[in-house]
Amino acid sequence: MITNMIGVIIRKELRAALVSPKFVASFGVCALLMLLSTFVGIREFQASREQYEAAQRLNEQEMREQTAWGRLGTRVFRAPDPLQIFASGLQNDIGRWSSVDAFNPVKLKNSVYSDDPVFAVFRFIDLAFIVQIVLTLMALVYTYDAVNGERESGTLQLTFANPVPRHVYILGKAVGAWLALIVPLFVPLLMSLGLLSVFDILLSAEHWLRIAIMMGASLALVSVFIMSGVLVSALTSRSSVSFLVCLVGWVVTALLIPRAGMMTAGYLVAVPTAAETDSRLDGFSKERWNVHMKELGERWRARNEQLTGKTEEERRAEREAKEWDWMEEDDRSRKQVQRDIDEYATRLREDVRNRKLEQERLGFTLARFSPVAAFQLALMNLAGTDMGMKARFEDALTEYRKTFNTYRDAKVKESGTFGGIRISFDSQRGMKIEQGREETLDLAEMPRFSDPRVPLRDAFSAALVDIGLLVGAALLACAAAVAAFLRYDVR
Amino acid sequence: MNATQPAPMLEARGLVKRYEDGVLALDLVSFAVRAGEIYAMLGANGAGKTTTINIFLNFVEPTEGEALVDGIVTHKDPLAAKERLAYVSENVMLYPNFTAIQNLEFFARLAGKTEVTRDECRDVLRRVGLQDDAHAKRLKGFSKGMRQKCGIAIAILKDAPAILLDEPTSGLDPKAGFEFLNLLAILRSEGKAILMSTHDIFRAKEIADTVGIMSAGRLALQRPASELAGQDLEQLYLQHMAGHVERAA
Amino acid sequence: MLTLIIEKEIRDLVSTARFAVTFGICSLLILLTFYVGARTYALQTEQYEAARKEQLRQLEGVTDWSSVRSARVFLPPQPLAALVTGISNDIGRNAEVRGRGEANPQDSRYAEDPIYAVFRFLDLDFLFQILLSLFAILFGYDAVCGEKERGTLRLTFAQAVPRSTYILGKLVGSFVALGIPLIVPLLIGCAILPMLGVPLSAEEWLRLAFIVASGLLFFGVFLNCSILVSALTHRSSNAFLAMLVVWIMAIIVVPRTAVVIAGRAVDVPTVDELASKKSRYSAQLFAEDRMAMGKFVPSNPTGPQVMQEFNKFMSKIADERQKKMDEFSSRLNEERVNMQRIQEDLAFGIARISPVASLSLGLADLANSGLDLKEEFQSSIQRYQRSYGEFMVKKTGMNPGGGMIMRITDDSDREKPKPIDPSELPVFVFQPETLSASLASALPDLGLLAALATVLFLAATMAFLRYDVR
Repeated sequence: MITNMIGVIIRKELRAALVSPKFVASFGVCALLMLLSTFVGIREFQASREQYEAAQRLNEQEMREQTAWGRLGTRVFRAPDPLQIFASGLQNDIGRWSSVDAFNPVKLKNSVYSDDPVFAVFRFIDLAFIVQIVLTLMALVYTYDAVNGERESGTLQLTFANPVPRHVYILGKAVGAWLALIVPLFVPLLMSLGLLSVFDILLSAEHWLRIAIMMGASLALVSVFIMSGVLVSALTSRSSVSFLVCLVGWVVTALLIPRAGMMTAGYLVAVPTAAETDSRLDGFSKERWNVHMKELGERWRARNEQLTGKTEEERRAEREAKEWDWMEEDDRSRKQVQRDIDEYATRLREDVRNRKLEQERLGFTLARFSPVAAFQLALMNLAGTDMGMKARFEDALTEYRKTFNTYRDAKVKESGTFGGIRISFDSQRGMKIEQGREETLDLAEMPRFSDPRVPLRDAFSAALVDIGLLVGAALLACAAAVAAFLRYDVR
Repeated sequence: MNATQPAPMLEARGLVKRYEDGVLALDLVSFAVRAGEIYAMLGANGAGKTTTINIFLNFVEPTEGEALVDGIVTHKDPLAAKERLAYVSENVMLYPNFTAIQNLEFFARLAGKTEVTRDECRDVLRRVGLQDDAHAKRLKGFSKGMRQKCGIAIAILKDAPAILLDEPTSGLDPKAGFEFLNLLAILRSEGKAILMSTHDIFRAKEIADTVGIMSAGRLALQRPASELAGQDLEQLYLQHMAGHVERAA
Repeated sequence: MLTLIIEKEIRDLVSTARFAVTFGICSLLILLTFYVGARTYALQTEQYEAARKEQLRQLEGVTDWSSVRSARVFLPPQPLAALVTGISNDIGRNAEVRGRGEANPQDSRYAEDPIYAVFRFLDLDFLFQILLSLFAILFGYDAVCGEKERGTLRLTFAQAVPRSTYILGKLVGSFVALGIPLIVPLLIGCAILPMLGVPLSAEEWLRLAFIVASGLLFFGVFLNCSILVSALTHRSSNAFLAMLVVWIMAIIVVPRTAVVIAGRAVDVPTVDELASKKSRYSAQLFAEDRMAMGKFVPSNPTGPQVMQEFNKFMSKIADERQKKMDEFSSRLNEERVNMQRIQEDLAFGIARISPVASLSLGLADLANSGLDLKEEFQSSIQRYQRSYGEFMVKKTGMNPGGGMIMRITDDSDREKPKPIDPSELPVFVFQPETLSASLASALPDLGLLAALATVLFLAATMAFLRYDVR
């Protein structure tokens, strides 16, 4: 009897929804936007993939044209990932590449937005954005008068002139509104996934799984807003009031809290800027090199002193015998300096990173008061375009730099020349300029960089908190709506 | 037309209204209301009463014929015609966030009575029977009857020579309805020409000078109320209603 | 009669709870935005000063200018850019100047602090775009059809009221009723800026005045548009739905789609392509120079001036190499910049279909945080590079240009060298766009907004003249 009654109410809700202009407009807009954003995302992904491939080709060509191992460096580019179509996250804000060589620590440079600020002016749209802004708004527009609208039109009174339990009615109402909105959303959502295969975007099984979870999170977010709309309409007696409350609530949750949360965290936890740490690093390295040069000078003086009192012949012979050792020694101390600087850089970065982590934690905690923020964070985690992205790449690049440098050093040793020009100057013999040998380099064994990937399990567990928050909020809003309606004045 | 009689204040001349969707709402309706006269239009829902009033207010233009207010053709010079008209709708809706007095002031000024004072507003509100304590309250909480009284007050305040009343007594309690009839009688004695559409056969018979019964866009019957005294108006009304049903079928 | 209708309109709008709530929230957000802007500016200034100090500190104790390899310059924070961020957080904020070669800005704020990039900043641009438009819609969507639904329209037109007067009163009245109250928090916001430690020059005040005026103009556009839609529909729920669709299109769809279309239509060479071409050309030039270096023959091989002579020689070939390199890169850069211009013009041309784009671009121009900012910073850097190069030549006799590391190890204990005076280093001056130039680029957008507001005003009037008031 009761399930039958719920069925009646749900069917009525669905029928009422399908014939309302509200439904037609919201469905049309949502479908259009989802397809548009996916299409744009796909084109952007294809473009960035082309750019990535071209850049890699150019880099390889450049490397092949180099002649000496000693100065060999490479550029590593971040490979685009198809998941950025749905949640671009920080993809366009973080540098696209870093140079990897003996001298400079890795650093991601040239973000998409800094290269082409024209795209930064209005930014791109991705599915995550559409869900956050448009779908949530539509969900509220759709449900703000679910209960009080019926009261105003008088149908509520008529309904309760029949033996209908209140909790049955409100549950039917909530489920009906949910179905009426969620089911149509699935259609464009599936269509936009269909676009992926139309444009030949190859996805692995793991990608599909991630996308599926992302879709689940989208549904959870929309559900939160549907249930909140029903709740507000069950708390107010006039639809104009509930409409205003919903709109204000939307502005605050979708637009204000996420921004305010992050900015508050930014103010509360101070993090030194890159310019500041770079300068500090520069200072340290300059000092370290100065010390090194001084030691080097002293070493040479000491070596020369050993030679004093010997004949010219003896000196030359001894010098020739020891030269290799001396050079080795100098090289060792040079490498030590390099290591010290690298360590210092790592320490500095670690420090900055810890501060940033602290800042992030606070920012996220504050922002998560808004389900919209929780959703965005979940999607970024799933798509791998999250806050950890930069650190992940920098760590992987630093590792790669080590392998690369080892490889190069081995090659230098093998070829027996550092390359470059050597200019020596002696007060007795004057000046001598030696050219390095010219040869083309065989780069077949060069180690390759592979993008750091967060395993699905880790990404999912990172997103789980947020998805859990969303589901919890939706259920809570639903329960609150039922509770509120039990005391609703149906007149 | 009789030369001794004054020119009619409200006059319909062969009004025909066919809407865009082809519905014939009015079919050659003609009548006249002179100063100091009350004309009651009777008819079922959809008979064309409101359309007639809409033509007088120039909300709708007639397809053929014309409506005149004090000799002015309403769709040719609507503003001049409206200066001579006061109107009370079936369900008076006023600005819900304004008080009764604020609403009165606004509409009086809109009608050109720029000098109207609060006291005058109060007087008129008392005259239509709205209690003093409601004068400074917002319209939000008013019942339909209270709003109706405000609407009538607005019409009185305008002091126009012609008054259009669209179902003015619907929603009024019997006492208020009775008071309203007294008010109409006073207005008539002040020389106003009053056109009133109504369902209320008994009141119409009681107060009107002329009664017209509309059916399916036609003025099916028009008699001076004095002539109807002996006849059963109700009988006539139902008779024409039946005719309407037959024609529609 | 017009004043009567305006007066009624104002009273009707202002006396509602709807007005009290939304206006309260708008004011709160406006004030919050100003506060946030001021705090951001303070924070940025702090960081900027810290970074600059650190840079000078490094030079302390250095005894020879020739061991100074480079100077880092920083984009000074602009108070208005904190209020209207534009692209100021997307472009690099500092650059390393070596005296020659290309010096490109790096470390954009968003790349460096992605925490802000996740949800972006709260600034006036965002506030105007989202909040003022919503505010306008909320009070405009039922201006006409709402009165019809309430039945007051019928009663009003039972009086001798000309339609043109009525709609004029409606348009003017709602703008006054809603626009004037908005000015109050905006002015308070402006007034608290100096109190929060944001110094503004007379010119910046003028810019700020224009920014506030553009916001009101934009508000007028949306208000007129809502009233137009309201005069085209008979049910307020439909009017609201239509305006919501317009809102989403104007704010989200049109600007972004325009940029994407332009991005696909105009093929701009990528930075990577350029970098690769440059580095290959540079390698080629360097290989040539190595041959030249090999042929260096000192006039007196054992004389003490050999080092000097060699330095001069190296400096000369480096200068020549640099000249060629500069020509080559400036040609490449120019090509890219030209294509970027075409792309921008197309993108913004299409985007301006939406008043939101006009507003956004106009505001960024006025706050000097638009696309020009990047170019201005870059040209300021180039200028500084020249004066830095000249300074280094004066101090050391050569322009080291970063490419070569020169270390003179002095093993004789002659006299202790004196430390250099870091304050001698030329000071980096960022030359922002002049007010007249900013105005010149912002005025077309403001004009567009004004024109749109007028067109919508007229359209609303026309629509109402034929409105069925029954």
